[in-house]
Amino acid sequence: MNRGDGTTRRTLLKQVGLAAGGAVLAGMAPAEFAFAAPKRGGTLKIIHSKIVNLNPAIQSGIATMIPGAQIFAGLVEYDAHWKPHPYLATAWEEAKDGLSYTFHLRKDATFHDGKPVTATDVGFSLETVKHNHPFGIAMFGGVDRVETADAHTAVIRLKHPVPSLLISTSSVLLPIIPKHIFGTGPIRTNPANLKPVGSGPFKFKAYNAAEYLILERNPHFFREGRPHLDELLFKFVTGTTSAMIAMMRGDMHYYPYAAQLQDIAVMAKQKTLQVSQKGYEAIGPLNWLAFNVRHPPLSDVRVRQAIAYAINKEFILKKLFLGLARDATGPIAPSGPFYYKNVDRYPHDLATAEKLLDAAGYKRKSGGARFALTLDWNPEAGNPQAFLPAQYLKAQLPKIGIDIMLRASPDFPTWARRIANWDFELTMDEVFNYPDPVIGVARSYISSNIKKGVIWSNTQGFSDPRVDKLFAEAGEEINFKKRYALYAKVQTLLAEELPVYWLNEIPYSTVYHRGLANVPLTIWGAMGPFDQVYWQKAA
Amino acid sequence: MAELAVGRERKPGSGFSQGLRRFAENRAALAGLIVLLLIALMGFIGPLVYPVNPFAIVATPMAPPGDGAPLGADYLGRDVLAGILAGARVSLFIGISATFCTAIIGTVTGSIAGYYGGKADTILMRITEFFQVLPPLLLSMVLVTLFSPSVLTVILSIGLVNWIGTARIVRAEFLRIKGEGYVLAERAMGAKNGRIIFRVILPSALPSLIVVTTLQIGIAILFAAALSFLGLTDPNVMTWGLMIGQSRPFIWQTWWAVTFPGIAIFMTVLSVSLIGDGLNEALNPRLRPR
Repeated sequence: MNRGDGTTRRTLLKQVGLAAGGAVLAGMAPAEFAFAAPKRGGTLKIIHSKIVNLNPAIQSGIATMIPGAQIFAGLVEYDAHWKPHPYLATAWEEAKDGLSYTFHLRKDATFHDGKPVTATDVGFSLETVKHNHPFGIAMFGGVDRVETADAHTAVIRLKHPVPSLLISTSSVLLPIIPKHIFGTGPIRTNPANLKPVGSGPFKFKAYNAAEYLILERNPHFFREGRPHLDELLFKFVTGTTSAMIAMMRGDMHYYPYAAQLQDIAVMAKQKTLQVSQKGYEAIGPLNWLAFNVRHPPLSDVRVRQAIAYAINKEFILKKLFLGLARDATGPIAPSGPFYYKNVDRYPHDLATAEKLLDAAGYKRKSGGARFALTLDWNPEAGNPQAFLPAQYLKAQLPKIGIDIMLRASPDFPTWARRIANWDFELTMDEVFNYPDPVIGVARSYISSNIKKGVIWSNTQGFSDPRVDKLFAEAGEEINFKKRYALYAKVQTLLAEELPVYWLNEIPYSTVYHRGLANVPLTIWGAMGPFDQVYWQKAA
Repeated sequence: MAELAVGRERKPGSGFSQGLRRFAENRAALAGLIVLLLIALMGFIGPLVYPVNPFAIVATPMAPPGDGAPLGADYLGRDVLAGILAGARVSLFIGISATFCTAIIGTVTGSIAGYYGGKADTILMRITEFFQVLPPLLLSMVLVTLFSPSVLTVILSIGLVNWIGTARIVRAEFLRIKGEGYVLAERAMGAKNGRIIFRVILPSALPSLIVVTTLQIGIAILFAAALSFLGLTDPNVMTWGLMIGQSRPFIWQTWWAVTFPGIAIFMTVLSVSLIGDGLNEALNPRLRPR
């Protein structure tokens, strides 16, 4: 357990008054530490949001990826320590020059319709993801072609080294989809997107767009004796309070991506429920204040730094987020393997902030104010990460002469449209790192990704050739140490330039019934297969 | 001339002074009026007497009442009393302005429907029924969402969804009064429709209109609080609903940040209701003691 986890957990225990700390740790055992003699049977009822697509090869997002990881298997599976393990691939080799990967597939793996999983399906899946998934190009843009040496050997040929390739073959990023099902006609309109056929531990049973998705045990799953559960019921629950009540009543058993900290604190007091913050490392969710650097005064780095100095992060972390959130110091989340902590920090210092603003030429006017800025935030329901800091900034920044006008967006599309079209000055934003900086980090800072109309691109308009170069080099460096050094440099540079000011790692939690064993707490958490989960004590 | 004299005798307004006397004798209504006046005074003079910016961090976050802030501080350290004082003005402004919209729409619709009858009545009443079957808060939320949350959109959205009751009462009054002798007399003398509506019937319908309008103020304040609670308001303007909505996640740590604005809403709506009831008793002839 790293330092951050320890701190967070201690605070959690303090906040919610949990006495049985040992029980917490026992319940947090990652999935790979299997309990003896798993029991067969039972249904796991999962709190979920509405689903519009069940094919993670073409659709990103939590709603698709969690059930998608149960329906589709991937080539490799990652544990809680960023280590890959065989899944559909029994073994793999990386060429010394880093220009090819060879995957040897299981010979006993079949899709839910009984057809075998072959190297052709791997090639088809990769091409589908590359051309249809929002991160397709970021993940597989460097792939030249996929060769099928034989029915169970797939060779991925690369145009240049792609160090993020292996982790991109996790089942949620590269689900192996059957070519004979998805290869007919345009994939976006394929009816199997909502009645999918995969090779994962659970298969599709029923779906009601307004209410639920039911997956049932795949009796022919290639991992013998698994899965242990008979059914997974994904119930579409609206509102965090409803979700909390359903969990506390025992109506539901598993609540991933819970973000309402006050609700989580209440649930953690329940004897029947367990809370864990593990399982989000591959997501790397960051909460930040973004600056539109195109126009004055935010085009001046001293103004951005002054704002950072004016923010009391300790207050945000300890008071607003109840001590459950970790400090974010740069563009890479603290839980990520490329995180570099020795970057410029901005301790709460109003005097320094004032000096910086004076030096930038923004003196206080007669009324005390220097200038005013508008601040947006993502109004998505149940989202305390954005709203609370926005309120705080409105109260705090006038102390250094910056008046803040909050601009409410009635819904997510309105906010996204404003930000994507650069119609903002400041905005609170939540962006995921995903498991490799190539996928989820570079996009927010590289100048080639300044794309009007595209949310979660480089909407800040930040452009620095040094940053572009470092991201490009790191994206092709296969030596981990060298790659780490490049990312350390880019983190240092960005922490000086501050195109955004990173506040915290979003403290998502998974709440689950204590009767469950082997709940997946790997880096992918709920986006990993549930094949080892079982009821050790019925709900 | 005799008919005209009768008409003058029966013209409205003569019972107003009696009505006011009856209102003054109603202790509950009087108490309501005093409380409402105090709240209004608090809203307009309060920020001068207690000049604390409701958005500024002035105390320790979550400080209890008395610890740096008379009514405590919220999760950010903002003064709850300053918020209540600022919110009083805004809440009353929204309540009265929205009710004004309600009264205008309801009166125009009800008077045209009631006076002209026939097709005009049928069409206007079908429109009224259309609005009647829509859940008013939901419709209000949709309107605010469509036109971006601000004080103006909140006022208009409340006004646009709450005029049905006013329209029905005004229509009923017009239907009743238009057959009265003094109205027929005015018509016989060649008075135009506009004069009959605005100078003859409407003043007679005024007591009912005043009562329903007064009660609407309370409803409008509650609507505004509900919209603010849901975040559908201008976040740069402090309102009681906004205070409650923002502090709700911290209710277990800062009960005062939710309770005191809640009491303010309760007291305001209660006082408005008491005044409305008092006016009803004072101005409604059916409720007068015989």
